[in-house]
Amino acid sequence: MSTVERPAAETRRWVGQSVARKEDPKLLTGRAGFIGDVVLPGMLHGAVLRSPHAHARIVSIDTSEAEALPGVVVVLTGATAAELVDPMPAFCAEPVEQRAIAVDRVRFPGEAVAAVAATDRYIAEDACARIRVEYEVLPALVDPVAAMDPSATRVHETLDSNVVFHRTLDWGDVDADLARAHTIVRSSARWHRMGAHPIETAGAVASWDPFSQSMTMWSNSNFINFLPWAFAGILRVSTNRLRMIPCTVGGSFGSKHLITKVVSITGALSKACGRPVQYLEDRADNVAANDNVGCDRIYDAELALAEDGEMLGLVLRIIDDYGAYFQFAHGQHGNAVAQPVGPYRIGSLRYDVSCVLTNKVQQGFFRGAGADPGNFILERLVDKAALEMGIDRVELRRRNFIRPDQFPYKIPTGNIYDSGDYEAVLDRALEIAGLDRWRAEQERLRAEGRYLGIGLASCQERSGYNASEWWSFYDEPPLPATSTPESCKIDVDAMGGVRATIGCPLWGNSPETVVGQVVAEEFGIDPSAVSVVYADSTIGAISAGPGGSRVTIMLSGATRGAARTVKDKMIRVAASAMEMDPEDVECVDGVFRAKGAPGTSMTMAEVGMKAHLFHDGTDEAESSGLVAVYTYDHPYFTPPSADRSDLGAFYPMVSHACHIPIVEVDPETGEVTLRAYYVVNDCGTVMNPALVEGQVVGGIVQGIGAALMEEYSYGATDGALETPTFREYLLPSMHEVPEIVLEHLETPSPFTTYGVKGVGEGGRLVAPTAIASAVDDALRPLGVWVDELPMTPERVVGMIADAQRRP
Amino acid sequence: MKPAPFEYAAPRELDEALDVLGEHGDDARVLAGGQSLVRMMNARQVSPAVVVDINRVRGLDSLGVTGDNGSSTLRLGATVRQRTSELSGEVAAHAPLLAEAGAHVAHAPVRARGTVVGSVAFADPSAELPTALLALDGLVKVRSRAAERTVAADDFFTGPFATSLAPDEMVVGVEVPVTAGRTGSAFVELTRRHGDLPVCGAAVVVGVDDDGRVAHARVALCGADQRPARLPAVETAVVGADDPAAFTEAAARAADGLDPIPSCHGSADFRRHLARVLTARALRTALARATSPKETTDAR
Amino acid sequence: MPDEVRVRITVNGTRHDLRTEPRTLLADLLRNDLALPGTHLGCEQGVCGACTVLVDDVATRSCLVFAAQLDGASVRTVESLAGADGTLHPIQRAFTEEHGLQCGFCTPGMLMGACELLERVPEPRREDVEEALGGNLCRCTGYQNIVRSVCAAGRLMAGQASDGQTSDGQTSDEQSGVRA
Repeated sequence: MSTVERPAAETRRWVGQSVARKEDPKLLTGRAGFIGDVVLPGMLHGAVLRSPHAHARIVSIDTSEAEALPGVVVVLTGATAAELVDPMPAFCAEPVEQRAIAVDRVRFPGEAVAAVAATDRYIAEDACARIRVEYEVLPALVDPVAAMDPSATRVHETLDSNVVFHRTLDWGDVDADLARAHTIVRSSARWHRMGAHPIETAGAVASWDPFSQSMTMWSNSNFINFLPWAFAGILRVSTNRLRMIPCTVGGSFGSKHLITKVVSITGALSKACGRPVQYLEDRADNVAANDNVGCDRIYDAELALAEDGEMLGLVLRIIDDYGAYFQFAHGQHGNAVAQPVGPYRIGSLRYDVSCVLTNKVQQGFFRGAGADPGNFILERLVDKAALEMGIDRVELRRRNFIRPDQFPYKIPTGNIYDSGDYEAVLDRALEIAGLDRWRAEQERLRAEGRYLGIGLASCQERSGYNASEWWSFYDEPPLPATSTPESCKIDVDAMGGVRATIGCPLWGNSPETVVGQVVAEEFGIDPSAVSVVYADSTIGAISAGPGGSRVTIMLSGATRGAARTVKDKMIRVAASAMEMDPEDVECVDGVFRAKGAPGTSMTMAEVGMKAHLFHDGTDEAESSGLVAVYTYDHPYFTPPSADRSDLGAFYPMVSHACHIPIVEVDPETGEVTLRAYYVVNDCGTVMNPALVEGQVVGGIVQGIGAALMEEYSYGATDGALETPTFREYLLPSMHEVPEIVLEHLETPSPFTTYGVKGVGEGGRLVAPTAIASAVDDALRPLGVWVDELPMTPERVVGMIADAQRRP
Repeated sequence: MKPAPFEYAAPRELDEALDVLGEHGDDARVLAGGQSLVRMMNARQVSPAVVVDINRVRGLDSLGVTGDNGSSTLRLGATVRQRTSELSGEVAAHAPLLAEAGAHVAHAPVRARGTVVGSVAFADPSAELPTALLALDGLVKVRSRAAERTVAADDFFTGPFATSLAPDEMVVGVEVPVTAGRTGSAFVELTRRHGDLPVCGAAVVVGVDDDGRVAHARVALCGADQRPARLPAVETAVVGADDPAAFTEAAARAADGLDPIPSCHGSADFRRHLARVLTARALRTALARATSPKETTDAR
Repeated sequence: MPDEVRVRITVNGTRHDLRTEPRTLLADLLRNDLALPGTHLGCEQGVCGACTVLVDDVATRSCLVFAAQLDGASVRTVESLAGADGTLHPIQRAFTEEHGLQCGFCTPGMLMGACELLERVPEPRREDVEEALGGNLCRCTGYQNIVRSVCAAGRLMAGQASDGQTSDGQTSDEQSGVRA
């Protein structure tokens, strides 16, 4: 374990300030350079024909009519695309092959069966409409429990069962804790599949050069500087002849890490015609077939407690509907076990997971990435325990919180929590919510027959993942990677101008602003003076990019490392020029001068000019130029043990929040309205308060969607996607959002630069379970227990009816 | 998501538009606000060979009241925007239900382009405006090159997105008879998200006698049947009622005989449940408005 | 293939005389024919509002209008707001000052909807903003700062620089959600 030394009285000028966002001007003026804005000479436009069936054998495809259409250049089927590109990489050990365009068989509604490149998108879609596909419809597997039956039709013939992965892992003595428990609280829970749905879909522009056998690929993928070799593998191009260029990304929330289907289809079309091709998913493409979808879980859970309410052990049995492919293996569960016991001192855990394949689009990652339903079930169990044991829900949490003096704290799975003060967060949340006032309002409204509810949830946001979360449940993982780096290159030119080149793309967060703040902090210059550019895959700025609430943690570390490397060299250059000992030179406000005795000094430009153009020819002199690439690796990672009894520290920067939503429920229509929302959040050092607030509030509103509105729905018998557009799959609008009151408490991480922890996912990680708790509280007089999200009007009315029927 | 090719006609005169319809019939679609048609064309759910844009046709954008106090009529032409209707003083004064229902349609920018008549002609069984027209005993004015006819709203809507319109006909306007006497109306709905089509909605007009009892009532639902649904049994049952309990009892029969179209937003059973709940609520609000002079004219 | 139609259209003050297929959506005319990429397509179903532009000063979903319909019309897009010298329009300034955007993909639609609102209602209240922009989806911000941005833009445009009081009487501290 390495901890960062932090002087007690460290004063900061830019880190911690609401510095103006550098990304904004281009975004506000329509000049941001999204993938749809990339235009190349001679560029064609792609469109994809998709399967209307959930499960079918492709009997025949006739593309002749499409090919005859004026303006159509290429039509590819699965078979012809397979001559140009290879299957997409999967992180699973099991033999589940996936191609971007299906060959012989479609396994989910919306799976691609053909692709067209034409002179414009309209014509490309005209061509799709002229492709004749004959299908032999097969039974659709819709219900994951039914799909587990050994007699069920298999989604993949290469597998013995639709249960593609199953494992039970015990950490601590679960049986003993169950045996000694005074009370065992049980709950089932259903977390339906939801989608990330950024307003910009995924897209790519591919330009294949058949003469040099090289490919240039613009896209809104994240992993271009992390796994470019994986893309090269799909595209059958040598890794050193693939150039991946990032574009400004119109939101992702986890859904654009790889977007291999889009990259593969676009690349195949370009290879087929030797011309640049742009393929942008439209909304129907994106909803049906991209990597949008998050967890789809059925829980059967138990929480064992001692008589005084001490939480002893936790049992989670999970069936997770992964859809038709297993692209990221069980990574969403590796993620969940970073914080399965939440903020509580729970000593043991049994985690029994079955990953099941069905005829639905496959899971990807969506903000929360597996920990979102984990928080839901845990907080549901805690609320239920409070109810069953007659202990106030606040008091029960207090009794079980990990105490501030217990950090760093190792949870049963082996992950480490770095720091926190959960009770202080809880206390402050109760205070700003004005709980007594709301209880009085609740009483008043109940007398009128109205149902107001006060929710409460205290949850973790693990942040800064290590790659081991993707494979730690395998004994023999196919790719036991352990690096999740982030890089920054900084150069200071001869005129003293500072430029940072970063490996992560602009995904809707604020990497330029963060880099500007850190560089400004290190050199004492204004953040607006720092220029930030995005590296393509030829620069060597390896970067896992945004994901797992990591990018500010990692990028601030990388940027400070690069800034300090360059600054140290500038100090040596300046010291040499000023004939001083480098130990006696400091950089203050962008000026190099003697420590403590300002007199002789050099500006950034003077040092820059010296370093670039005035090498004195001696062996001792610094080499010319001022440039440094710094790669910040995960600040605190330990590998899993061979028997997996200890998964190691893999997600150790742990933020925390307490949410208190106030809802009103109309018991007749089932409508849930948010009246108010209070949050206290602890993400360590707040890098930029305005941006942090933006992340939390945005996450909460996605959480409101998860709690009340968002769900992929499939026909029970035919498996047809019933939510193909934004008219059916509902994102919250301005009208569904109450005023959200937010406050921060800071317990800096001892592991990271500046003490930063993650904040990108927290809002969505807490809000769904908090709102469930509020609905429970509202409907307590009717005996309702919420165990399924989203709480649609129909579900709420159904829950009330069920509760009324219970004896 | 791009539309298939089509021929475009933008006539200035109604007869020219009717000529195109007469020639192409079912292969042609009338484009007014386009807020539903263009969406469906983008998704290629409809791909007409000919689009007749009536936005430039003279004389279709009028909104006004004709007739004397005894029997006056509110008339809206085919290109009157939903936003215009919603904000119109004449609509508020003479058919407050239409204004109230109209305010629930989508969002202001959509209503600024979408038309009242377009919504009626589209005949979405979930939509607010056809149902409001039905509760108002509205009439649909239909023209072809050969003839002009007036159809009662109840006869106009024949099924989901289906009307009694012939292929060569178009709707040129709607009319709402202005009711004399003490009346009140209400439109209530449940949506999954503000501005979305309702899962179910209820439109009610009640007239009261001097004792504040219901003298007559008209009740219509959206989202509860294959088409906008009138509920004659409920209308009859509430006559003479003056208290909420009676309304709840009458509304318990609101879903009888209805055949709702299920969707991901609500099953048929849930829509029947909502039909009962919302009918009772709309009746209560309408009665309160009818008996409170101040609220009679308050559309919201 | 159907005949092309003539469209004489003024976009951001520049007159164009174009011929296009009848089916060309206004959004595609702007993006492809006129090289104005600031108008974004999010759903092409009129649900998300990302493609909102002003047609004859009225906020309009450019995915639900054929360019052919706009012969003689005047259109304004997000590209009309900032000055050529890089000076942001007050609405854009307000959005950056109030952190009313994150990924920025929905932002042009929000800005143009706000533009229409502010030309009608110079100092809008929250309800006015909800009515005007409630049909524009944003997946990043959670809307809170968008509402603040539009209200702040009204104040900027009215030349009434905020002195800590906002039109709805909250202090700016409460508005930023930070309560002492």
